[in-house]
Amino acid sequence: MENKKKKQSIYDMIKEYLDEVERLKEGIPTIERPSWDLQACTLEPLSSIFVTPKEVIITADLPYVQPHSVKVESINSDRLEITAEMKRKVKFKEMGMVHHEGEFSSFSCQTRIPVAVDMQHLKTNFKRGVLEIRIPRKRSYKIPAK
Amino acid sequence: MNSAKIIEKNSVPSEAFLVHGMPDVGLVGVIAASHLITEYKMVEMAYMDSESLPPVAVLHEGLPYAPIRVFGNGSLLITISEMAIPADSIQLFMRTLLDWGQSKNPKLTISISGMPVQNRQDIEKPKVYGVASNAALLKMLEDKGIEVLREGYLVGPQALILRYCAEKNLPAIAFLAQSFFNYPDPEAAAEALKEFANVTGKKIDVTTLLAKGEEIRLRARDIMKRTQQEMTKMKKGQEYDLPLYV
Repeated sequence: MENKKKKQSIYDMIKEYLDEVERLKEGIPTIERPSWDLQACTLEPLSSIFVTPKEVIITADLPYVQPHSVKVESINSDRLEITAEMKRKVKFKEMGMVHHEGEFSSFSCQTRIPVAVDMQHLKTNFKRGVLEIRIPRKRSYKIPAK
Repeated sequence: MNSAKIIEKNSVPSEAFLVHGMPDVGLVGVIAASHLITEYKMVEMAYMDSESLPPVAVLHEGLPYAPIRVFGNGSLLITISEMAIPADSIQLFMRTLLDWGQSKNPKLTISISGMPVQNRQDIEKPKVYGVASNAALLKMLEDKGIEVLREGYLVGPQALILRYCAEKNLPAIAFLAQSFFNYPDPEAAAEALKEFANVTGKKIDVTTLLAKGEEIRLRARDIMKRTQQEMTKMKKGQEYDLPLYV
């Protein structure tokens, strides 16, 4: 009985839940999509998101990009769109691929922000071909320390 | 039980420098190895065959090749992977490459890789650190002006190569250039190659590598993305951890 109680601890329950999520994930068939969109002539950049206690930091690798063309727009309270024009168009043929036709002239991606942020105070920095976006987190309540 | 083997296509030289350029942070090793292969016009000497490899063939000029191959010339052997290495096969693949390499009695085994730093954007010239399989090689690195990593964790191909070489008492070193974690980093690869030249005495011109930096970053996006997925499975982030004092 005691053993059974131990098994039902909150940690075990969380672990069981996460294991179940993993099992479900493995069972769901996913179709991979390419990192480019031929209709829009865009490439999806590599990007990352870090959540710190004070801010959310998003970065995106944007080679061949003209710094002045980089645009960061908030689509709604939890989603950002990054677009940037490339210095020149890049064709599939340049990469030795003849089984696809088309060219790309810009980067485009949307990023979902997992916590509440203050979009009004978003700051950007473009250096070494990498865009960095810093957005302060919203603090809706404070728990006073006693 | 899964197995892997190296199939030789050409006569492989012994007592050469054996360089490993495997996909890892910033793809530093792959970019550096690829540059060496191009600069020295090296030819394919061998390839890896294993049922643990994904069902992948890499096409070059219309012909199919294995994704993990060994290139060489008289004094240099280079292993390179053109796909992200599955995390659950990395031990098998590295052990296979090392066992095969040992049969060629290499002069020195050298891994080239990255060392992720969070402020990479602010670093003009990435620093290159050295690690080695024995104390004499650590001293050699220091004598060459390369700062040695004293404490910390290594995760990934270069970690296994060093551990296996230390077990077998084989001479091995690794160059770890400060790099982006998950963005291809040709500048870091160029700095690692400068230290490679410093240690081996080989002449390497990195001008073309740096000039092609943006093109490399563009073309390496997809392999970088897949490598990042495998690095997450390997718990690569452990390299940021503070080491326990033992």
